[in-house]
Amino acid sequence: MSGDLKKLYSEIIKAHNETPFHFEKRDSASHTIKAYNPICGDRFEIFIDNHPGKINEVHFHGFGCAISKASTSVLTKSLVGKMPDEAIALCSTFLDFINKKLPDNTLNLQDDFQAFIGVHDFPERYDCATLSWREMKKFLESNKKNQ
Amino acid sequence: MSSLAETRILNIEKIRDEFPVLHQLVNGKPLVYLDNAATSQKPKRVIKALTDFYECYNANIHRGIHTLAEKATKAYEETRLAMQQFIHAKHIEEIIFTRGVTESINLVAATYGRAFLKEGDEVIISGLEHHSNIVPWQIICDEKKASLKIIPITEIGEMDLDVYSKLLSSRTKIVAVNHASNSLGTINPIKEVITLAHNFGAVVLIDGAQSSAHLEIDVQDIDCDFYCISSHKMYGPTGTGILYGKKNLLERMPPYMGGGEMIKDVTFAKTTFNEIPYKFEAGTPNIADVIALHEAVNFIKELGKENIAAHESELLQYASEKLSNLPSVRLVGTSKNKVSVQSFVIEGIHHFDVGQMLDTRGIAVRTGHHCTQPLMERFGIEGTVRASFAVYNTKAEIDLLMEGLQRVISFMNNK
Repeated sequence: MSGDLKKLYSEIIKAHNETPFHFEKRDSASHTIKAYNPICGDRFEIFIDNHPGKINEVHFHGFGCAISKASTSVLTKSLVGKMPDEAIALCSTFLDFINKKLPDNTLNLQDDFQAFIGVHDFPERYDCATLSWREMKKFLESNKKNQ
Repeated sequence: MSSLAETRILNIEKIRDEFPVLHQLVNGKPLVYLDNAATSQKPKRVIKALTDFYECYNANIHRGIHTLAEKATKAYEETRLAMQQFIHAKHIEEIIFTRGVTESINLVAATYGRAFLKEGDEVIISGLEHHSNIVPWQIICDEKKASLKIIPITEIGEMDLDVYSKLLSSRTKIVAVNHASNSLGTINPIKEVITLAHNFGAVVLIDGAQSSAHLEIDVQDIDCDFYCISSHKMYGPTGTGILYGKKNLLERMPPYMGGGEMIKDVTFAKTTFNEIPYKFEAGTPNIADVIALHEAVNFIKELGKENIAAHESELLQYASEKLSNLPSVRLVGTSKNKVSVQSFVIEGIHHFDVGQMLDTRGIAVRTGHHCTQPLMERFGIEGTVRASFAVYNTKAEIDLLMEGLQRVISFMNNK
């Protein structure tokens, strides 16, 4: 495989794709966020269990390409234990990183964010990497407004 | 080109020379184009017909008295004649130019459907249909309070004709099915489908998007009421195609769009509509592409459809055998009667990732649901990888596909 592809399908992405974090349905969750891309058919549900003021548990289930599945897995893992504002900030950071809106100095990003840097060379995969993060950010922001 | 048709075995290298797009590197590798069910590439003669039109005789048709207008009109109408012969229609006025199959189906649903469907009537389609042969019927059934019935699909991807014959009744007014499936390649027994429907007085529309470049079409022999073709799937330009309709039906149908060309006489009080086919060709049509479609028909005719089909089915068999030998590959659509389309899934690897990795090796395949979501649901999958072959493809290209797939599998499995 070419170097670009090895960068795109980094070891961290492949690992998350193969053994995703908290990959199970949670019918009892306090919130279910749906992420669906009708063009390619990627479809995930992300289940959030809240404690007052804090995201307690996050699980996800569904179907998608390696990039979208790994990115949803990283999202799920990243949100556990976060306050809503922290979670929104995290979503913004990841989305800005993928969309190349972060300043060049992104070395302090966590490793499992950095793992997606290969997406920069494949613009057609931006949607795959950001699908669940966009939906999550939308949900967290509207949830905040309604409180 | 005529020399090509003299032998039964086609000279594929010579044919490939006719297709400029094939001779390029994609991502540093020679292009292997296996996405022909989405759209086929265009031979030089089709491209030349387009530039000739724009460089030498671009003019609007039917309304002008000047030389260029007459030349353009003649060329446009000659394609109508070529299409009549291509599908063996009885009358030339039974050929209506549209933007392609999608528009042809929408035209029939919106005119025949709107005029003749009543509350309680039924429209039958199959589980193998493209969204373009599902959604127009849903829209008109909803509007008319008619219901849509679905012919189920068997495990190998064929229509269940026993169920179909039970679905038919005096309530059935329209049956709309494809000649060949775009996702699985299955060639459907349309003659039988049509005969059974006619026993109940229903009209039958055939979606010929995937058949026109591969199968002999004789609309009088199969006795269909409507047949739809897209130019771009048969080596012609995009943006045009035809609707064939039986003359007596087309004459009874109301117009589709209003505008120029489709009228005989207009006053603010009343408009008299033009004769068929012009009644259905409002506005300036896609003149250049219609004219170039004639060259695509000539290309197919000179090669001989039976020769094209023989080459393609050899490729299909070769590819299907090789694919089924790959351990984690499962073929989807295994009917014995197929056009040159093979869908498959690879265990544990998403089709989109497969497509992306093949692309970096210059191999173009289609991935996804192929606009047949209900069919994917039938097989419990979200999508497939689909390789589809045209006359210019070779076994060497299939070998490259296999090599690419093996690399994909070992890369994703860390081997």
